[in-house]
Amino acid sequence: MTNNSLLVLVISSGVGYGTPLLYAALGEVLAERTGVLNLGVEGMMLVGAVMGFWTVQRIHIGSTLVLAAAIGVAALAAAAMALIHAFLVVTLRANQIVSGLALTIFAGAGGLSSYLGNDLNLSGAPARHQFTEPLPNSLQNLKIVGPILFGQSVLVYASWLFVALVAVYLRWTRAGLNARAVGESPAAADAMGIDVVRYRYLHTIAGGALAGIGGATFSLWLTPQWVDGLTEGAGWIAIALVIFAFWRPTFCLVGAYFFGALTALPFALQAHNVHISGDLIQTIPYAATVVVLVLVSSAVARRRLGAPAALGRPYVREER
Amino acid sequence: MTLRGITKRFPGVVANDHVEFEAEVGEVHALLGENGAGKTTLSNILTGLYRPDEGEILLYGEPLELHAPRDALDAGIAMVHQHFRLVEPFTVAENVLLADHRDATRSFLVRPRDVERRVTELSRRYGLAVDPRARIWQLSLGEQQRVEILKALYQDAKVLILDEPTAVLTPQEADALFETIRAMAADGRTVIFISHKLHEVKAVADRVTVLRGGKSVGTVDAADATPRSLARLMVGREVEIARPVGEQREPAQVVLEVVGVSADGDRGTAALHDVTLSVRAGEIVAVAGVAGNGQRELAEAIAGVRPIRSGDVRVAGRALGGGDPREAIRAGIAYVPEDRLGVGLAPTLSIASNVVLKSYRRAPASRGPLLLLSRIRDHAAGLMRRYDVRAPGPDVPARLLSGGNLQKVVLAREFSSEPRIVVAASPTRGLDISAIETVHAYLRKAASEGVGVLLISEDLDEILALADRIVVMYEGRVEGERDAEGADVEELGLLMAGGEEAR
Amino acid sequence: MRIERRLEQPRWLSFVVPAVAIALATLLGGLVLLVTGHAPVKSFRRLFEAAFTAKGALSATVVSATPLAFTGLCAAVAFRMNLFNIGGEGQLYGGAITGATAGLLLAHSPSPVAIGAMVLAGAAGGALVAAIPGFLRAFLATNEIITSLMLNYVVGLILTYLIFDTHSYLRETKGFEAQVFPQGKTLPASATWPSWTVHGLALPLGFLVAAGLAFAVWGLYARTRFGFEVQVIGDSSRAARYAGMRTRRKILAVMCLSGALAGIGGASQDGDFRHQLDPRGLTAAGYGYAGIVIAALGRYNPFAVVVLAFGLGGLQNAGYTLQSADFPAGLVGVMEGLILFCALGGEIFVRYRVRFERRAPKAPTAALEPEPSP
Repeated sequence: MTNNSLLVLVISSGVGYGTPLLYAALGEVLAERTGVLNLGVEGMMLVGAVMGFWTVQRIHIGSTLVLAAAIGVAALAAAAMALIHAFLVVTLRANQIVSGLALTIFAGAGGLSSYLGNDLNLSGAPARHQFTEPLPNSLQNLKIVGPILFGQSVLVYASWLFVALVAVYLRWTRAGLNARAVGESPAAADAMGIDVVRYRYLHTIAGGALAGIGGATFSLWLTPQWVDGLTEGAGWIAIALVIFAFWRPTFCLVGAYFFGALTALPFALQAHNVHISGDLIQTIPYAATVVVLVLVSSAVARRRLGAPAALGRPYVREER
Repeated sequence: MTLRGITKRFPGVVANDHVEFEAEVGEVHALLGENGAGKTTLSNILTGLYRPDEGEILLYGEPLELHAPRDALDAGIAMVHQHFRLVEPFTVAENVLLADHRDATRSFLVRPRDVERRVTELSRRYGLAVDPRARIWQLSLGEQQRVEILKALYQDAKVLILDEPTAVLTPQEADALFETIRAMAADGRTVIFISHKLHEVKAVADRVTVLRGGKSVGTVDAADATPRSLARLMVGREVEIARPVGEQREPAQVVLEVVGVSADGDRGTAALHDVTLSVRAGEIVAVAGVAGNGQRELAEAIAGVRPIRSGDVRVAGRALGGGDPREAIRAGIAYVPEDRLGVGLAPTLSIASNVVLKSYRRAPASRGPLLLLSRIRDHAAGLMRRYDVRAPGPDVPARLLSGGNLQKVVLAREFSSEPRIVVAASPTRGLDISAIETVHAYLRKAASEGVGVLLISEDLDEILALADRIVVMYEGRVEGERDAEGADVEELGLLMAGGEEAR
Repeated sequence: MRIERRLEQPRWLSFVVPAVAIALATLLGGLVLLVTGHAPVKSFRRLFEAAFTAKGALSATVVSATPLAFTGLCAAVAFRMNLFNIGGEGQLYGGAITGATAGLLLAHSPSPVAIGAMVLAGAAGGALVAAIPGFLRAFLATNEIITSLMLNYVVGLILTYLIFDTHSYLRETKGFEAQVFPQGKTLPASATWPSWTVHGLALPLGFLVAAGLAFAVWGLYARTRFGFEVQVIGDSSRAARYAGMRTRRKILAVMCLSGALAGIGGASQDGDFRHQLDPRGLTAAGYGYAGIVIAALGRYNPFAVVVLAFGLGGLQNAGYTLQSADFPAGLVGVMEGLILFCALGGEIFVRYRVRFERRAPKAPTAALEPEPSP
């Protein structure tokens, strides 16, 4: 098997396409584990993408610095979007589904991200700085593992770090335990002195920041330029991925690369002169998510690995 | 701990009205009051869940401001709620840890083994047996209560509030709990014991503060009080504690037979095993047992709400298919569910809609696919007059009614359908005394008109006052059957705890 | 700040709150414009003119409003029963596919037959798509929110596939342009839906159908046994089961009804406006999501849905009209989002009494006594 073989190609570019999904899904895991469903992922990603891109185009500092700053700006901008959602659903107890959709309409393609992109004159030009593959060629050219493991951008390696962080946080830290308690039973958590409101805010916002980084992955590495609506529905796949991964960060990693590989497959096949419909292959992540949802629908399965019990429900203390 | 002039208002009701209360270190202090007297509201204020509109709380003489449950926990006040505040998918140890904030800064990472060890120690010391690694949803209600108490002990709470703790326990388990309570008080903790049961209060408390209509009406030493004097304080008038026993009736035809019924519970595990019982026309048969021993599932199986795995439900000799509420309704089974608002009534729909919840398919409520709205309203208005439902009109949403009025709406609908059988599940739970009397009167009246009544209750006093026969359930089985006449409370309690094997 | 549940919701609030929401959204939108160096008043005036007052603007607004009315009704019908069908988008695509197929197949039938068949086929197509989450929810207890959302993408991709990636019956294969850029077959004249012009306002058949369906939905929910059952199930499914209602069948039926409404919207896109199956146009428009928002704003009232569809349609229409001019792109989405946020935030004032003082000055009158303490 050479490094140009179909499988290596599909997996290595699948890791690339999967990375923005991974960031966004990790963020959504954080929010959903505290019981906040945020359907605004697509919008948050797009705002992250446009603001990250704006940073590299307009701020003139060294390449490494500006890319780091761009990621920071993307995360902040998307976190600000998440804050709107958190305020509406946590403080004002609005319907989480409607608020999330409203966020996507507000921030997404045809909304704020388009407004900013056009207003800041970002379209057309290629990125002045972009993420590259940092590891030496000798590693990148290794057989099979070279392109898959070593031929990736810093964003990929950073995402592994985030997976580990989120996984350890949720499983082994007190704050993570508290966060999960808030998502499972806010009333119990509240009675035990855990600040439900604060946990929900912080996790929703952190989730937004990660979605923003996911969006910047497009504009600073994969694409790399700004096009209106460049995420093309990745935010929705990320939401599917969270379910597909049973709300577990480590499963998100595998799922993201699986979904990414499905995106890469038609292109790779085309390079080998095989034509199959990319559209139909693209339905697989969504269809697979539906199947997973059906599988976890039974009460027993749900209790063992399913959604946080309070997902989507506002928590109201003084209600009678 | 001292409370001064605590007042709490909710939309449309003053739940606490200048409540005065004082408990000392190492004391077991009971808060006694009817349902609706403001006990739960008061305890929610003590734990920081609600904030009082007026008044102040003193702890060891220092004023205490409680903005959130966290403040109460930090001050060493812990509560065992009536509805447990536990995270179901988590383990016992994790739940215990969640409530403990003292070493929050010290241990960033969770170390479950340490917690498990300490939980085991505590449970040995206070006789609170429970496996620290078990997940909450695997535990019985009694065990869950022990977890709640362990939670409080783990964080070394100085003040423990127990809200109606015996509702889910057998008399024997309750005795064990009283031992635990005394052990905790002996350790210098203050235990506030909330109850509406006179004999419990008398058995466990040092002093008793009585609440009535949101006001504190007095504090007495438990040793000096008699059940009668406490009852007078609680209700505000003399009450007859011994209740009349119904006169003997002629044996009549059997209207309801439950033959070898088995069914699954909500968790997919078997909840009913081979249950057999029968009810005659004009007879009140009571099903006694500690909550969670299959009584609710039995009522649901009879009413067709819960599918039956094996066995038969027969009405006047004819077997029903089972698992079809519509069929049960047609056969003449009226069902007063335990959960009034949510099962018995649709909360946001009007009284009128709720009154025709079961009869909307037929004339006069509908013609063909169309509803006849004005007739439905008239019908509802008539029933509201007849059953004395206090509400501005038939268009008022059900959720705005008080518990007693809600139950009257349910009873009005069920009894006006001219049933052969009434299955009433905990029909008086959460009601005040006058509403309880009304419900009892309706049940007696139905029996006297030849309806077979199956009463499910956890309150032995109620059962002894109403029933002709008593069936005791334990873990989904019929543990025994006794005539109400001459039934021995001690023996019933034993049956409720599993009969012979419990000895 | 303390928040208490209102015992009764005053009627005036349900008018005042949306009005304040729109005003606030305009203010915030103006702020966005100001910060980014545009003249707010001028931009809004142009927006308003393009939406409602310019020549032909109202007719164009009706065109934009028609699909929104269908998807809005679709969402409202399901939300009434606490079914969160957010698959209006995919159900609209489904209806567009079946509707276009019917129109092409019946090229030689008389126009009323072809149009009637398109409406029915569209309804069936939408219902079919909605039946999947409906069935899963009713019989396997699978959450319908995510399944219906996922199907939006599945059906959307199939729709694209039909025109772009295969030589299906629906795709135009002849002609120079079609060789270069794939497109759907043009519908025959018999499958073109009529429209009527009243005082210069063009009313397409689809819009009239939507208005008629709004009335029918209202009647169904307010006056029939079916509607009564839907209300009870939506309020408390356990109470419904207790009363002997067949909840599962009703879930499936309501989902199919909901999907059918969106599906007719899809057929109306084929017959009224696009005259071919147009994947790019349909997937770019996002009618389904806007419909959910409209349903939520209109509190699931079918008449409010039609009115709001008209308002939001105006905004979208203005967005298209002003696209090429020196007008800030994306403003329409921003405005839509802001109105939504404000309206959602305003809901709390309808459902709850929000008080900002520390202590309650006076005891509320105890007309009704709610259950004391949970």
